[in-house]
Amino acid sequence: MIRLFRPLLLAIAVSTVSAGLACAQEELKIGAIGPLSGGGTAWGLATQRGVQLAIDEVIASGGLKVGNKAYAPKLIMYDDQYSATGGRTAAERLTSVDGVKYIIGPVGSPSVLAAVPVTTAAKVILMSDGYAPGILKNEAGSPFNFRMVDSNVEFAPAMIAWLKKNKPEVKKVAIIAPNDAVGQAAIPALAKAYKDSGIEVWTEMYERGTKEFTPLLTRMIATDVDLFDLNSNAPGEAGLLLKQARQAGFDKQIWQVGGPSVDEIINIAGPLAEGFISYDLFDFSKADAQNFIKAYHAKWDGTINAQTPIWYTAAKILFHAIETAGTTDVETVRDAMLKIEGWNTGFYGPLVWGGLAEYGVNHQLLQNFWITQVKDGKPNTLAIITPEKR
Amino acid sequence: MSDPITLPRQHVMKDLRIAPARIGASLAIVAAIAWPLAFQNPFLLTIGSLVAIYLIASTSLHLVIRMGHISFAHAGMMGIGAYVSADTMMRLSFPFALSVSCAAAASALVGLAIGPIVLRLTGKYFVLVTFLLGEIIRMVFVDWTSLTGGSNGIQGVPPPFAAVASPLGYYYFALGCSLICMTFCGRILASEIGRAMDSAKEAEPLASSCGVPIVRLKVVIFTISCGLAGISGALLVHLLRYADPASFGGLQSLNLVIMNVIGGMGSIYGAIVGTIFLATLPELLRSYVELQRVIYGIILIVVMAAMPGGLVELVDKLRLMTAASRKN
Amino acid sequence: MLSPVILAQVLLNGLSLSAVYILIALGFTLLFGILRVVIFAHGSFAMLGGYALYYVYGKYHVPYAVAVPLAAAMVAIASLVLEQFVFRFFYQRMFQSMIGLIGLDLALTFSAVLVWDVYERSIPPAVAGVSRIGGLIIANDRLVVVGIAAVALAAFWLFMTRTRYGLAMRAAAEDVEIAETQGIRARTIYRLAFLLASFMAALAGGLYAQIYALSPFMGEQPLLVAFIVVILGGMGSIPGAAIGGLILGFSESILSTFYGASVSAFASFGVVIALLIVRPWGLLGKPE
Repeated sequence: MIRLFRPLLLAIAVSTVSAGLACAQEELKIGAIGPLSGGGTAWGLATQRGVQLAIDEVIASGGLKVGNKAYAPKLIMYDDQYSATGGRTAAERLTSVDGVKYIIGPVGSPSVLAAVPVTTAAKVILMSDGYAPGILKNEAGSPFNFRMVDSNVEFAPAMIAWLKKNKPEVKKVAIIAPNDAVGQAAIPALAKAYKDSGIEVWTEMYERGTKEFTPLLTRMIATDVDLFDLNSNAPGEAGLLLKQARQAGFDKQIWQVGGPSVDEIINIAGPLAEGFISYDLFDFSKADAQNFIKAYHAKWDGTINAQTPIWYTAAKILFHAIETAGTTDVETVRDAMLKIEGWNTGFYGPLVWGGLAEYGVNHQLLQNFWITQVKDGKPNTLAIITPEKR
Repeated sequence: MSDPITLPRQHVMKDLRIAPARIGASLAIVAAIAWPLAFQNPFLLTIGSLVAIYLIASTSLHLVIRMGHISFAHAGMMGIGAYVSADTMMRLSFPFALSVSCAAAASALVGLAIGPIVLRLTGKYFVLVTFLLGEIIRMVFVDWTSLTGGSNGIQGVPPPFAAVASPLGYYYFALGCSLICMTFCGRILASEIGRAMDSAKEAEPLASSCGVPIVRLKVVIFTISCGLAGISGALLVHLLRYADPASFGGLQSLNLVIMNVIGGMGSIYGAIVGTIFLATLPELLRSYVELQRVIYGIILIVVMAAMPGGLVELVDKLRLMTAASRKN
Repeated sequence: MLSPVILAQVLLNGLSLSAVYILIALGFTLLFGILRVVIFAHGSFAMLGGYALYYVYGKYHVPYAVAVPLAAAMVAIASLVLEQFVFRFFYQRMFQSMIGLIGLDLALTFSAVLVWDVYERSIPPAVAGVSRIGGLIIANDRLVVVGIAAVALAAFWLFMTRTRYGLAMRAAAEDVEIAETQGIRARTIYRLAFLLASFMAALAGGLYAQIYALSPFMGEQPLLVAFIVVILGGMGSIPGAAIGGLILGFSESILSTFYGASVSAFASFGVVIALLIVRPWGLLGKPE
């Protein structure tokens, strides 16, 4: 029960402080949708906290300056329970009851795909995350929605190019994936990226909820692969796959083009995780990340989910677009979002939009990402990569 | 020995239940039609549409539960109708009337195919078999990607007709379909067939010896129930403009069962009350999803331990208590 | 792919899977056989056993041989409260018990989410590393589970057939009323059976959490497994639980390794459905 009280007290404290700071600033509602209960809670909290940190920064610096008014953004976030119905009702509530013009989230294709028809019709900006190409590539042409996180169409080719250069001996890769929304969307793009680089691919899918992979891994070992890719597996399953693979006698390289799940894997697999290489969204040991970490831990404790800086950055991009547009009008802000290409976002370098060739619209944020390796039980950066603009 | 002139308590409860229930139902229908004219809010209208759609599913499940079988495959039947309607409309350009008929027919056919086999089972075995069948149906949705789009589903499902594309239009459309389906279920229960169902549940060997064709009756009711579930599923995906397997899995089947149990398994009004309760409560308790589920769990325990008639029985007991105290 | 080494490895994997399944099913079948209650809450008790072991062994470092039974005993004793306030109303009432215990499962699982969070935790293994026998390989923590499963099975069997309480329980399972006329106090026997079943569930849950991962939703898989094993073997039969566990473990290992996960899932569900239709009381159970 304490757990319920502390965030409540903190929220009261913070809102009093920001109310004080914001007394000269008019309120601007920023909507958000994400899983705040059930299995996806980590990502929902990452959205909520990342956006809130960006809001705190803006208010502390005097508010969003739009024309000659100053606005204090206020976050209104609803739980979608990581489902289509949840995403739809949350989007409806935000657009027609709360009257927001900008929504950050949801995370997860079913929720996004259900929310998009509502936000497009209501002319509301949606900044989401999900692997399904249909999020951007659809009949409506995505006039108001943007994808704020690389899908593996963006990061897989770049990672595999790095693989070819650094580990040219790899000829055959094994992919074991869940047959849920993420797995089924991610596998075709990933398999294609491998095959285009001349690497043979062996795939196997399993039912979400499985924890015992030894039979599948035995099957995998018998096919003599040089590399095992944990791809889009959820952190818990990725950790179990790695641990059970090592326990089944697989001693070749294991890496993950997806996730990231580095902390969970170290936690679950312990010393067996040594040498594991992964896609990562952020390097928390960077010098410029320390202020962010301090600001986060001033409000919440626990491990910081790697998506938090992404949503923090997404909110910052939105705020900069609003200030550049000089108005809160949605169409002008949307145009401004594209115009500010090249602006330095801070953590991720210059803002780059892409995706025209893939989706027919330039609304995919091309984000820098990291390749890390576990050495002595800790993640170490091997490379920082920018996806190709296509 | 009881006085043969006095009616047994059951009948008193039923009579007491019917008159006020009829008045209550008429009032509720009038309210359901009238309220959007005051609050033209797309969000509330969407919730209203969802309630209407789930009402079709839960009242059709009530028919099966009335026979003494608790089916955990009902959401799977919704899913079959949903995908058939979406696919026939999008790939074969069927008009909605035809695609929803195909949806009902498809679910009904599956019900007809498995009915004779599973309806011979009782109690816990029926629960388990339907649960496993529901899982198999969901796995088929996930694996048959060419027809269902797999786990990512089908997006861009069109609305039934242009006239009902708006939230207000869809609400009245769903409400209308829902009222028709619920009246249909109510009529079945009030008819000869309904009485045969009740007799089969109360005393199967006796009913059978009186000439009630038990298995045939159960199969017919089960088939009808699955067909109605198919209609419900179709309406759902045309509302969400999106169909995915997660909307039709074991969790949703469980929700439908909970709606029936919490409201009361004894009468169709129980299913209605339970559905409205379960569909609207999440919106009121938006921040406390986990607490909600704990509360549902506790209500289920209490209802099953003390009050199998659910919320409806609670209302009846209160009314009986006040009626009795008024007499004194 | 069909070399003797791979085949032997598949069988070894099957054995380790079976051990886990048998442990999970033992408590489940006992409660059904005697109390005629289908415990949908079995998974929740396993989950609580997991958290208990997490604290006793993972946080407080009690020696493993003591920690495992201690954690299970803690959950079993705590569950007596639930017996007094919930289960007692459902004995011998099949229909009500199903839905009521689904409610209990919901309440326990989401209370666990409120108390702990949804994040998966891990419990350190009892014995780390792997053992290699010939060309075969098996993780040491799995060997520990196989050992515990064998001991538990033997202990259970001895208890039920060689002790007075075991005899009393089997009498109550046959016919409660006649048993009562012979001087067996039903209430005491029910409580004992319940205690034993919860103990087994929590024990299995602790080991399950140790091999895989611990979270409030961890109990779903064990519940499904318990059902399948007990349906195969027959509800209420302890040898049945052993046989059902072995069948499920070996078939999953063989089918998944040679044909993939989909085939294995469809096959096991299909067989269970067929069995429920044709012979619902399982291989070693008794028709009602």
